[in-house]
Amino acid sequence: QSFKLLGFLDVKSVPCARESVLYGSLGSLVVGLGHFLATSKVRRSCDFAVGGFICTMLGYWFYCRYNLAQHRIRQRMLKEGMRNKILFEGSSLDPERKQTGNERSNS
Amino acid sequence: MANHSQFGFQDASSPIMEELVEFHDHALMVALAICSLVLYLLALMLMEKLSSNTVDAQEVELVWTILPAIVLILLALPSLQILYMMDEIDEPDLTLKAIGHQWYWTYEYTDFKDLVFDSYMIPTTELPLGHFRLLEVDHRVIIPMESPIRIIVTASDVLHSWAIPTLGVKTDAIPGRLNQTSFITTRPGIFYGQCSEICGANHSYMPIVVESTPLTHFESWSSLLSS
Repeated sequence: QSFKLLGFLDVKSVPCARESVLYGSLGSLVVGLGHFLATSKVRRSCDFAVGGFICTMLGYWFYCRYNLAQHRIRQRMLKEGMRNKILFEGSSLDPERKQTGNERSNS
Repeated sequence: MANHSQFGFQDASSPIMEELVEFHDHALMVALAICSLVLYLLALMLMEKLSSNTVDAQEVELVWTILPAIVLILLALPSLQILYMMDEIDEPDLTLKAIGHQWYWTYEYTDFKDLVFDSYMIPTTELPLGHFRLLEVDHRVIIPMESPIRIIVTASDVLHSWAIPTLGVKTDAIPGRLNQTSFITTRPGIFYGQCSEICGANHSYMPIVVESTPLTHFESWSSLLSS
């Protein structure tokens, strides 16, 4: 079952979406409540709460997606490396063989 | 293929489609932020009397110029990155041609041997049990997995379009023109698509099925077909 925010963002299936919205809500509460406690102005505190929600949500979103993208790239490199190791192990194209060859020539 | 009443994308089977899905999620998150702001402003306006003081201020002019510019940059940069990524042609291992006819596809593998075959939809009355209605064909396009494939699409009569959602491929088939696209399948499987340009009475009945297999199976299939 999917839960779609505003009818279009499926927070369950989109990676980082659920955490972004939750952290955004927390940020909104903290900023809005903090401003109200400091100034006792309701209207302005609501404006800050909405601004805090958007900024925290987008901020965490970019941070989480950047980490996810790095993770995916590392995963692809690992997969490629494992496949190349299986394919070239023991052959003249084996990169580990070339590396040990260079170490021997350097020493 | 899509499940019953599926609204979102199919699972990606190529790196480009993975990037497209990521970008779509990013665009939806930006849309959520904008919608939240608009909803809040709407609620404010409904609760207060309208006045010209708010909208005449210099500061609000600055905000509603800079904010949309930032939003456009947030959307344009990843979009352009994917656009240029889609145009990269990386020395394909295999080139095949897809020719659209009314109402079937012809595929040609002419790299090594002359393999040509037609691909017709299997009618519902002849469909074996458990197969997908309006999606199965008599001859599938077999390709090796994890290999860059170039496909040249054209048509012989009217406009068609060769599309496979899970691979992120959609290329128009235009008579007298050769359109080129390339893709890599990240996993083995059977990928379904349908003609995506209106081409007559049976436009909905000329599906595309691509079967991605390991290279050894592809080689045995091609030698079987050529013999």
